[in-house]
Amino acid sequence: MTGLNVIFPRAQATGQLWRLAFAAGSLVSFALNAGAVDFEKELKPVLEKKCLSCHNPNIAKGDVILADAESMFDPEAHFVKRGDALASDLYLVVTPEEPGEKPSMPEKGDPLTEAETELLRQWIDEGAAWPEGLVLKEASKADKSWWAYQPLRKSFEFSESSFQERENPIDVFLEATLKEAGLKMNPPADARTLIRRATYDLIGLPPTPGEAADFVKAFQRDPEGAYVALIDRLLASPHYGERWGRHWLDVVRFGESRGYERNQIIDNAWPFRDYVIRSLNEDKPFDQFIREHLAGDVIGKGKPDIEIGSAFLVAGPYDDVGNQDAAQAAQIRANTLDEIISATGEAFLGMTLGCARCHDHKFDPITQRDYYGLYATFAGVRHGERVLATPKDVDAHQQAIAPLEKQKADLEAQKKAIETAVMDRAKKKAADFEKRWVRSPADRSGTDETFPPVKARFVRLVCEGNDSNPSVASGFRLDEFEAWTAGDSPRNVALAANGGKASGAARRIEDFPDAYGPQLAIDGKAGARFISAGNDFTVEFAEPVTIDRVHFSSAWNELTPEHRKFVFVADYRIEVSEDGKQWTEVASGDDRKPVSEAHRQVRWRRAEITKAETEKLAALSRELAGTDRKIAQLPKLPSVWVGTRNPKDAEGPFHLFVGGSPQRPGADVIPASLSTLSAVGPTYELPAGTAETERRLRLADWIVNPENPLTPRVLANRLWHYHFGTGIVDTPNDFGYMGGRPVHPELLDFLAVKLEENGWRLKPMHRLIMLSRAYRQSSDWQDEAGKVDGDSRLLWRFPPRRLSAEEIRDTFLAVSGKLDGRMGGPGFRLYHYMQDNVSTYEPLDEFGPETYRRSVYHQNARASVVDLMTEFDQPDCAFSTPERSETTTPLQALTMLNHDFTIDMAEALATRLESQAGNDPPSEIVEGFRLAYQRDPTLGELEASLAAVNTNGLRAFCRALLNSSELIFLD
Amino acid sequence: MNPDLPYASRRRFLGHVSTGLMGVGLTQLLNRELSAAVSGPTIATWHPGSGKPHFPAKAKRVLQIFCPGAASHMDLWEHKPMLEKMDGKPLPGEENLVSFQGKNGPLMRSPWPFKPAGESGKQFTTMLPHMAAHVDDIAFFHGMTSKTNTHGPGCVFVNTGHPTEGFPSAGAWTSYALGSLTDNLPTYIAIPDIRGEPPNGKANWSNGFLPAKHQAITMAAHQPIRNLRPPREITSAEEKGTRHLLDFLNEKHAAEHPQESELRARISAYELAARMQLSAPDVSDFKAEPEHIHRLYGTDSPNDLKAAYARNCLLARRLLERGVRYVNLYCASRASGVDGLLNWDAHKTLKADYDRHAPVFDQPTAALLTDLKQRGMMEDTLVLWTTEFGRMPTRQEGTAGRDHNPDGFTLWMMGAGVKGGTSYGATDDFGRRAEQNPTTVWEYYSTVLHLLGLDFERLSFYHNGLDRRLTDVHGKVIRRVLA
Repeated sequence: MTGLNVIFPRAQATGQLWRLAFAAGSLVSFALNAGAVDFEKELKPVLEKKCLSCHNPNIAKGDVILADAESMFDPEAHFVKRGDALASDLYLVVTPEEPGEKPSMPEKGDPLTEAETELLRQWIDEGAAWPEGLVLKEASKADKSWWAYQPLRKSFEFSESSFQERENPIDVFLEATLKEAGLKMNPPADARTLIRRATYDLIGLPPTPGEAADFVKAFQRDPEGAYVALIDRLLASPHYGERWGRHWLDVVRFGESRGYERNQIIDNAWPFRDYVIRSLNEDKPFDQFIREHLAGDVIGKGKPDIEIGSAFLVAGPYDDVGNQDAAQAAQIRANTLDEIISATGEAFLGMTLGCARCHDHKFDPITQRDYYGLYATFAGVRHGERVLATPKDVDAHQQAIAPLEKQKADLEAQKKAIETAVMDRAKKKAADFEKRWVRSPADRSGTDETFPPVKARFVRLVCEGNDSNPSVASGFRLDEFEAWTAGDSPRNVALAANGGKASGAARRIEDFPDAYGPQLAIDGKAGARFISAGNDFTVEFAEPVTIDRVHFSSAWNELTPEHRKFVFVADYRIEVSEDGKQWTEVASGDDRKPVSEAHRQVRWRRAEITKAETEKLAALSRELAGTDRKIAQLPKLPSVWVGTRNPKDAEGPFHLFVGGSPQRPGADVIPASLSTLSAVGPTYELPAGTAETERRLRLADWIVNPENPLTPRVLANRLWHYHFGTGIVDTPNDFGYMGGRPVHPELLDFLAVKLEENGWRLKPMHRLIMLSRAYRQSSDWQDEAGKVDGDSRLLWRFPPRRLSAEEIRDTFLAVSGKLDGRMGGPGFRLYHYMQDNVSTYEPLDEFGPETYRRSVYHQNARASVVDLMTEFDQPDCAFSTPERSETTTPLQALTMLNHDFTIDMAEALATRLESQAGNDPPSEIVEGFRLAYQRDPTLGELEASLAAVNTNGLRAFCRALLNSSELIFLD
Repeated sequence: MNPDLPYASRRRFLGHVSTGLMGVGLTQLLNRELSAAVSGPTIATWHPGSGKPHFPAKAKRVLQIFCPGAASHMDLWEHKPMLEKMDGKPLPGEENLVSFQGKNGPLMRSPWPFKPAGESGKQFTTMLPHMAAHVDDIAFFHGMTSKTNTHGPGCVFVNTGHPTEGFPSAGAWTSYALGSLTDNLPTYIAIPDIRGEPPNGKANWSNGFLPAKHQAITMAAHQPIRNLRPPREITSAEEKGTRHLLDFLNEKHAAEHPQESELRARISAYELAARMQLSAPDVSDFKAEPEHIHRLYGTDSPNDLKAAYARNCLLARRLLERGVRYVNLYCASRASGVDGLLNWDAHKTLKADYDRHAPVFDQPTAALLTDLKQRGMMEDTLVLWTTEFGRMPTRQEGTAGRDHNPDGFTLWMMGAGVKGGTSYGATDDFGRRAEQNPTTVWEYYSTVLHLLGLDFERLSFYHNGLDRRLTDVHGKVIRRVLA
């Protein structure tokens, strides 16, 4: 171990005198401790706060650890020399060399105060007593007294009964804070603004012109009644679940591809999306919803509608490449579980649990032990799909399939009997067969066939079995194929440079079609090879020639030709043709020795089998295919991406991983509740052998336990965030030290309590919030208020917003009349999916009508880019996303102006206007404004629009409308 | 906004400002990021996206060349004479090594001889004869280490500083920190190879949790920027009519909401888009390039792959020249069904694979470096060469190729502020593990950010509980490679 003074050499030599003086003087000025220093009470917190963040056993910065007696008093290190502070490096580095200078330690953060250094000096001089077995740990910035971990306030300064009639309690809370800041709320917004605001907010679509007109009329008669009716109508709309479900899918990082290198698309994850939409539309109590997310397969076993909830666990990305290196494989598994733990903490608890993976959380009171307790909780979860069906459906399926399976087995047995008989006969003739096979087997490094000179325009290699599997004739590779002319100066006429043209079905990569093409076998170079997808390879010569030899290989000049990379032909024919239609065999591998025992057996069979046997086998195969078809036609039990559960993975024992490394197991851990909340609610610890199902269920129950203040607070804050654009806490996934502080702590608790009182149902909460004056006020800017609260966090106005990516696309479809309202089922794609070991997602240039569904039904793949969606800040869903960015870029402008989709929508809108408003431009323009903005144009707008329509047609007007700011901004 | 107020927003990108926005440049308007997105003591003094670094910068722009597939350090960059001596013998101490694809066989020498290059006389592979000319200008990091031995996480790690998905790439961080140098082109461009995307695809140039405007725009000589033109016939008269009406509507709407800076920014975005429509086709039009430049790069090569990459190299220069801040240029793509075919992942047939890849890479890359030098652009352009990890000194059992090796490999940099002819760090005698000055990806990027005038510890962005950084919670500037 290095001494501190090796790292800070100056500390020893200089400054000593001053320190001495300081130390002496301080006895006078800081006569703090008449008695001995109480290390545990007085000094431990100082060291833990200012030293341990770097000098703990996990980080050991500069090889210095100050956690326990052993390292602190290491005789080689001179950190602390008992009885002599001035000979102790620890003291020297935390005191300044010259008065007023910054001491060399701590490197970051505040230096120790004079009182603290004096305490340290006194403790060392007194002999540096260390309580037996004490280990120092870095203190997190926030402890259990942090605001977010306190029980919910249940009584408030304003009791609800004292509210004036029709006064919304939310406004009472807000007014109080506004008043303190010298602000007041804006007047109410007008009817058109309100219907636009509320409709987008609750269903994510524009109001129709009819809805807007009706509302404006009703609002004139009875503003309150009309508005309440509007909110109730919207809350009852099935589109509500599509809009708010999308919010939740962001939070639970729902994506429909696996992520990482292969990033294979997942085609059966959509049932979870439908489950979320359905649950929100039903107003399912959210505590139940959360329990289903973590343990739906436990509480709803055999009920697919509930089991599907637990797809939450596997809704995130994971690395499925596989790894022979055991340490790396363990790390990947740890990363996968970390993803589940982090998402759970962020989504339900507003806790950033992932930060406690390598060490105790530096900011929040979350220990590494807490983290690994959850690791043990989720250890049985694996990504993947499985059948989700009721026992009744499973039974019915079994009943239907059983007779067919039996039929299939019978047919297979009959086939096998014939094959066995053939082979039994063949074995007896083996010696005869072997006599026919005189030449060496086909050689991957180079195989030669010579034959009497023959005139040919074409030559082809026909494979009857490749050399790794005698019954498969495709999949062979050729790095080169040569055809030589007869005579004294032979020429390779197959060579491309000599005019040869190669053909043959090849394995294909969609975005790099020639990667394995036949051209690679006549390029005169080895290294890259043709991989056949059929059973032949043909070369057409530039002109008819006389040839007498071919030469071909798959591992020309390779050091390890036996590797499976070089699969070659084993049994084959060489044929020539003058017209490409009539073929003549000129050579074959029939007289070569078989390349393997398996190939030998296939040749025996081929030589021995009778015509009758072949026919019988063919008949049986036909029958078998028929049975297979019937099996395939039976309705399949649905297989869904809900993850698999593997009790063996969950066996344990589990340890915490020092520094986050599975290669450094530390103390044993068991599934347990988080210590963070141990002071305010129930706790649990489960014995090591507890079933993994039970572990998840207990965690779920703990998360939604009424004593747990975090869950309802976090959820209430999310609702506020989506309604007002910013939460009462502006970091909805993080209620810890690094997160924001609540602007209205009392209001937050009030809402959390209300949420619980409402049985964890969201719809009454929406109603409560949206009926407030705060929600209904105008978004008008006030200069004076803006100076005090520019971001409107105190809600002196309603904060305006831009529409989300999904809302923008859905608005295009709705306004143009093209929106396909079908709900649920498999999603649509705005990209082209390609797979060649790994997946590639290419954004499409044109979208067909099959994509005209709401954007929530888009099959969002990870690490894919879809112009319209990505550019308007749709997240990648690699993480839980608590809030969307709102960016403005030139790329958005290019896409909205020029993507084929916008043009399609502009044309559809033009057609719609024509049919609705006849061939009368002013009426068409008015109708366009009503559809897009829910208002009539001003005279100036009408004139400008008319000019566009008259000169350039309706499409020019419609395209401008779709690109306009007013369409995608809400007041 | 007053940061003392408890309700001061932590992060709003285009906040509602109460001052007029007249006279603010287009780019500044779009790049305007409120300082609240940055935590710590920097709030008052530095704004991301303002175009200003933390301290005076050596480099204004970055060219990052990426050779995906784990390009072999001991065959390309770091000479290992011991492999020649012990070719065919077991790797001492790791005779039974099991790595990514399985068991390893004996040590394998590089199939290409090395010979001294440049004035420094550094031993350099004969596989890259053109690149040898630049050896004296390169600072090699021979002691790199990675956290992962898998391509996808490896690529993402070397591009984002995190082996897991979802983090912003170095180019996105640069865009966020420094903003744009031009109104006419995107700030950050990724140029994928004609053979396809690298492992983990678009995650390599993702904005992660940074706002979407910091994602790379993809383009290549074979692939223009998307949506530059309407896909079908729209007459210029109609286009003008639409734009005119749109301007009218948007101006009117913005005027009615004078305090909403987004609305003004959106109008600017349409103006910038119009400029891009003019500039972007020009940048990919190589007709103006003289014949000798085409020959220098090899755009006329009969090797289609080489010609395609050469055109992308030329495109990279033209983008950098016109003010693109960060160009991420790929040479090769992903792991196909046959490894080593589409990228540098030579598991089974190292010699054959690199005999195909090296000629594609060598001349065009060397030409790009030469061209940047001769135009004086190397003074303020930082060039990075990266790959996801290295390869084993052994042959993979039963093959003539090498398996993945995250424990030692080479990256390099050259150009603005870099001390050429430097070799920092080294692997052991065999190339198995970083031994001298092992260097993390975080240290490499600390150095990159330093050259861009950015303090890697101050450049952060709050996300889900942490002020996240390109260098995670690590990093250190490697001063030995600084000029």
